Amino acid sequence: MLKKTAINKISELAAVLMEKGTLLAPVKEAAGFNFREISDAGQVNLHFHNTIISPKSAFFPQMEDFVRYQTGKSILEAAPVELNLKPVFLFGVRPCDVKSFEIMDIHFSGTGAVDPYWKKRREAATIFGHAFDLNEAADPAEFYHTLGIGAADPQGSDIFMVTKDNDLLFKSITPKGKKLLEELTMLTEASAGDRKYFEDYIARGHDYKTRFASVEPKAIATEFESIFDNREFWKNVSNACLSCGVCTFVCPTCYCFDICDETLFNKGTRRRVWDACMFTDFTLEASGHNPRTNVYQRLRQKICHKYSFSIRKYGVISCVGCGRCTRYCPVNIDIFSIVEQAVKAKWYKRL
Amino acid sequence: MTSSFKSIEENLKAEAGKLLESGRVEIVLAYGRGYDENHPMPFVAKHPSDVANMVFNEYCIHNLARYLVRYPRGTKIAVAVKAADCRAVIQLIQEEKIKRDDVVFLGIPVYGMKNPKTGEIIDSKTTCGMYNPVLYDVLLGEEVHGQKIVSPYDVLADYEAMDKEARWAFWKKEFDRCIRCYACRKACPMCYCDPCFIDQSKPRWGDKSPQSHGNLMYHLTRFHHLAGRCIDCGECSRACPVDIPLYLFHKKVAKECEEMFGQAAGMSIDDKPALVNFRVDDSDKILE
Ligand code: SF4
Ligand code: SF4
Ligand code: SF4
Ligand code: SF4
Repeated sequence: MLKKTAINKISELAAVLMEKGTLLAPVKEAAGFNFREISDAGQVNLHFHNTIISPKSAFFPQMEDFVRYQTGKSILEAAPVELNLKPVFLFGVRPCDVKSFEIMDIHFSGTGAVDPYWKKRREAATIFGHAFDLNEAADPAEFYHTLGIGAADPQGSDIFMVTKDNDLLFKSITPKGKKLLEELTMLTEASAGDRKYFEDYIARGHDYKTRFASVEPKAIATEFESIFDNREFWKNVSNACLSCGVCTFVCPTCYCFDICDETLFNKGTRRRVWDACMFTDFTLEASGHNPRTNVYQRLRQKICHKYSFSIRKYGVISCVGCGRCTRYCPVNIDIFSIVEQAVKAKWYKRL
Repeated sequence: MTSSFKSIEENLKAEAGKLLESGRVEIVLAYGRGYDENHPMPFVAKHPSDVANMVFNEYCIHNLARYLVRYPRGTKIAVAVKAADCRAVIQLIQEEKIKRDDVVFLGIPVYGMKNPKTGEIIDSKTTCGMYNPVLYDVLLGEEVHGQKIVSPYDVLADYEAMDKEARWAFWKKEFDRCIRCYACRKACPMCYCDPCFIDQSKPRWGDKSPQSHGNLMYHLTRFHHLAGRCIDCGECSRACPVDIPLYLFHKKVAKECEEMFGQAAGMSIDDKPALVNFRVDDSDKILE
């Protein structure tokens, strides 16, 4: 099913979605765009390349409350926080980020240990994917094409959107998307010309090149395994790293969290809060021992997790090439340049 | 005349090469190639052959003084420093984190440095507005003269026009956007505490979650820990992924400190940090 609406009528669509549930869409903020819950239909702004923080926050917010308690009272009086979710419409997600949800599903439910918060939020959501603008040059930081993700791949979205001049085309990809599209009566029927445009656009997305040549996950995993203990390599690539939380916090496939009891006077909440393997205290043990005291050990963990361990364990690279980590790294460290350096070294062939 | 970026780069390579070859230093902290021209990176040279990878252009904004404390005490290090960066090294010497004899200042006289994220010239806006390093062992270009001098405090005009309530509302709004990635403290050459107060769990000074009260605790404490020490390099603000204008607070405190104690941070290795040094004739304005 293909439908359309004029882009300048997007706030009408937003208003309908807000009536049906919670609308999360790109909003322009001081430093750039971010997905936010829309409270005023006019806020939705599709003139964005990509957001600063990835849309993972829709399913895995930086802060998730689990239990509320009072100090000094019995544990029996502590109350779990119920997730009462309205339907959520996640609007305007780029194909690389849609792909990240599939990778995160492995960690949050695919291995058998199901995270109920992730699962419930995921089930409540209808994803409106949105193709990159193929007439605009790719951002120098991104590399999703290298990882086999097209700039207009509709897989993973419930509804996929393509811009055609002043119109926005909507195609239903899943039954859930189809049902919703049927309900959105303010959208008009697309023409045969629109249909052709849409299909061509998706195909053209595969020719939309980001930097670097394509990759072979197995070879990369082998490479990183062989240089894991090569301190010289890791020190070299991490010399500039500040060991901050930027790259992990903006990343759509980073999922580490800490569980904290945060108490103010006698009222407390047990919640999870994003953590980052790049933080000094991430591996600090209760004894005071810290197995990763050096920056190089932490950067190695971050990169190997995505480009080595994940490939060995689940067969996928846990990175979608969105380029956020590179774009927002205060010192311009580029994850894929490091992968490339490792592969170029061809260490494994020498062993 | 001022030296071009290219000639500074050539001088940097030549001087770094000499220092490494002669064994005068073990490490040279400078700039190297990043993933494209607009994104150079902090770079560490350890062998004379490494210097070929050095670059210098208008995007080499990082303050390399940040990395000095990462190496064991006594390591002989040459560091490429622009004016503000040089002040950071001096401040570190004042605070006895490093020794004057262990550092070789490769001074870079320069103006027109640009933030690659916004393309804007940062000179006096987010940095200290000086063009020439106040101290150097080797100067990698000709001193800048004749370039208009703009006070680093000029950008405070709008902020200073706000009354107390407006300022409070301003910071509350800005801090509420903070995601607590800690890039600001990690990019800051003067934030070397290990562990940082905010990472401590006994006692815990602030919550880990990015909410108003914890964010306020983190930032206000950090601001005050930097009073009289911040050399106005602006790295904290540029490192911030959500562009919180931390430099406004730091500049304001620096300005007040300068007015009260007649001393700006990192200007001379013979100074003592303003808040550490007690003098009978110190201003009492802070108590008013
Ligand atoms: S790679 Fe960049 S963003 Fe990530 S921790 Fe290091 S300095 Fe921070
Ligand atoms: S590692 Fe970087 S490029 Fe890969 S998904 Fe995360 S933020 Fe995007
Ligand atoms: S507080 Fe900011 S401006 Fe001041 S020294 Fe630290 S990074 Fe530089
Ligand atoms: S860099 Fe910005 S977002 Fe990160 S902790 Fe500092 S102020 Fe907050």
